[in-house]
Amino acid sequence: MNPIGLRWGDAVIGALASALVIAAFALAYFPAGGARVLVISQAGAAPQHEPLDRRRTLEVTGPAGITRIEIEPGRARCAESPGYRNICEGSGWLQAHGDIAVSLPNRLTLQVLGSEPGFDSLHY
Amino acid sequence: MPGNPPPDPAQRDRAIAALAAIAIGIQILEAAIPSPVPGIKPGLANIVTLVALLVLGWRAAAAVTLIRVLGSSLLLGTLLSPAFWLSLAGAIASLAMLAVLRPLAPRHLGPVGLAIAAALAHTSGQFLLAWAVIIPHPNLPLLLPPLLLAALITGGLTGILAAHVLGDPRIQRHVRTRKSDP
Repeated sequence: MNPIGLRWGDAVIGALASALVIAAFALAYFPAGGARVLVISQAGAAPQHEPLDRRRTLEVTGPAGITRIEIEPGRARCAESPGYRNICEGSGWLQAHGDIAVSLPNRLTLQVLGSEPGFDSLHY
Repeated sequence: MPGNPPPDPAQRDRAIAALAAIAIGIQILEAAIPSPVPGIKPGLANIVTLVALLVLGWRAAAAVTLIRVLGSSLLLGTLLSPAFWLSLAGAIASLAMLAVLRPLAPRHLGPVGLAIAAALAHTSGQFLLAWAVIIPHPNLPLLLPPLLLAALITGGLTGILAAHVLGDPRIQRHVRTRKSDP
């Protein structure tokens, strides 16, 4: 008898639990359904929807200058923006449903959406 | 033998009250320790639940756990707040898991397996409540895998600690005193 009373059931549960954790990581961080559309919202303008279907570059002019947006199949990013702290660029590739990049100097948000319905914002 | 309820209901009630008091104490002490990651804590009070389960049975474990949730929230001032509901949801989920696995212990299953399963159920129950009601954000599931990993680790640790508690001669004396106690 071992000191902590291990039984075969403990090994089964340990293995199942480890598999569950690994599966959870895999499912959460490698989602099957990725982003499909980029929503460009600028203060004072109607949101612009751009499908993430082919590689291209967009330029959006705002109060502080030009924000250059790169679009690739399934993802988009803020490639260059006038903000001196590079917060917009720092968001990296937007590829999961709900990922968002913001350029405050240009009063601009970039958000990619997938197929599932999401929430616009969250307050609590 | 572990798992046999003591014959005397009054003695059993006293044991439940004592265990619940210990569990409340542990939970309050744990609440005072800042956690490096929000949402992750050792859950040492679950040692008491496991001891109650394996010594007194599932109903006693449920009583100890629910008293702990209520009592510690009264003392921490979180009664009926989101923290309380999350705590309760986790407790109910882990008790349900323990009810399913209880018949396998101690023959096929030790405290470590019970603790890991209960910890995962606890985290999942809390997460479902949080996601469904409190913070229904589409990206919240991204938090679940690290929380489950933490539950796996802390569950294993509480299981090992519970096994040591159960193996302690002073506890063993209580486990076995059903016949010899005056």
